[in-house]
Amino acid sequence: MRKNTQWQRLAGMLEIPQDIVLDLPRITMLGNQQLLVENHKGIIEYTPSLVRIKLNQGELLVIGKNLMLGNLQIEQILVEGTVGEIKYDI
Amino acid sequence: MISNILNYINGTVTIKVSGTMPEKFINLCMLEKISLLRITKKNDDFIVCLGLSDFFHLRPLVRKSQIRIQVINYGGFPFLTKKIKHRKMLVVGGIVSLILLNILMSYIWFVDIVGVNSISVSQIKAVVYEQGLKPGVLKDAVSTKRMEERILREIPEIAWVSVNVTGTRAVVEVVEKTMPKELDKAPAHIIATKDGIITDIIALAGQSAVKKGDTVKKGDILIKGVAYDGKATVTNSPPQMIRANGIVKARVWYEGYSETELVKIVHERTGKQEIAVTLKVLQNEILLKKVAISPEREFEVEVFNKKLSWWRNSDIAVESIISTFYEVNTKTITLSIEAAREESKAKALATVQSLIPETAQVLSRTIEVLQIPETNLVRVKVNVETAEDIGQFMNIP
Repeated sequence: MRKNTQWQRLAGMLEIPQDIVLDLPRITMLGNQQLLVENHKGIIEYTPSLVRIKLNQGELLVIGKNLMLGNLQIEQILVEGTVGEIKYDI
Repeated sequence: MISNILNYINGTVTIKVSGTMPEKFINLCMLEKISLLRITKKNDDFIVCLGLSDFFHLRPLVRKSQIRIQVINYGGFPFLTKKIKHRKMLVVGGIVSLILLNILMSYIWFVDIVGVNSISVSQIKAVVYEQGLKPGVLKDAVSTKRMEERILREIPEIAWVSVNVTGTRAVVEVVEKTMPKELDKAPAHIIATKDGIITDIIALAGQSAVKKGDTVKKGDILIKGVAYDGKATVTNSPPQMIRANGIVKARVWYEGYSETELVKIVHERTGKQEIAVTLKVLQNEILLKKVAISPEREFEVEVFNKKLSWWRNSDIAVESIISTFYEVNTKTITLSIEAAREESKAKALATVQSLIPETAQVLSRTIEVLQIPETNLVRVKVNVETAEDIGQFMNIP
């Protein structure tokens, strides 16, 4: 964890995007209809009302209605539907 | 958008994934770099849509994740070609019809001639056909420029011509020359076209037969077509006949009469209409659509017979009779005497006006309301006096 903060400081100094340095997921939302998660580690559970996505540390919970997974690739997951809540669970 | 088109070209397969841990299977797919296009859930099964090429790499993954997959749908171009392979004749038919269409389009099937007034169409058609522009000829074989030159040379009455080929139709557009009128030089008298009193007579050629103040009847000779020589009465030789010419002005009277009823019954259509259809087959009439006619409503009926075209089999005499019933309102219109007078005056004048030529000069106009003891009628008489040229050529036989 200490190593991480050092890296973070270095990244801040050099103005390098932190998601690359720290291997963090990049989450992009388009309204409440689309949610794009990049740099994930797979899905844990999928039902139309809940999607659990595994991340480097912990997991991401997407709660909503009529959720659908589109365009699943090794680097990204696209969740479509009506997103109600997003929860970070570390 | 582009990825959708790519997916269509490459083909897609929709499979149903059932088992205890379908998520595991999906993670395995991602690790193997198999991109899944869409995942939805139906009951407990995952419905997964993926590319056709990836589909063939699924088998080891399925075994590893202990699930069962089932293809439920497929689509895209590869499947379309497969389908077509089973129906070769369909493709052949399509190609043949395209080729046929192309061949038929390279011929001229119609020749239209536009802009003809006095020259006969058949005359132009004959020249055009002779030059090789006729229905059924190849488009490439027709040189429009040469055709235009040729038509101009063959028919001198044409001032300008253009030959245009649009599609399978060749349009020959023609503009005719306006030729000067041929003067009639045959010997002629000038005769009266109307009854009247001569007010002026000027003989430019020939000898005048009447003088100012004479009353002439229709058909009387006004100017004789005889050459004037001073001693015509002495010589015995027959007089030389010429074409008479001159101006003969006369006073002419026209009379017009009209009457108008004071009380009129007018049938006016209300706009409502109903249609009755009867089918007539071999003298038997079958009523297809009936109109309910109640006695309190009045109707005007228009009957329209529809027969088959002449080229159809006329022995089977099938005919449909369409009767249109227009509802009418009957109205009684009562006019005042003044209004009736005005109306009949206008009508009488209109009838007279149609008789008077445009060049005539109106001298006087009298309008007279006839006093006849009749309650319902207003009678009006109109007299118009004009001065006009009443001369007309009449060839001497």
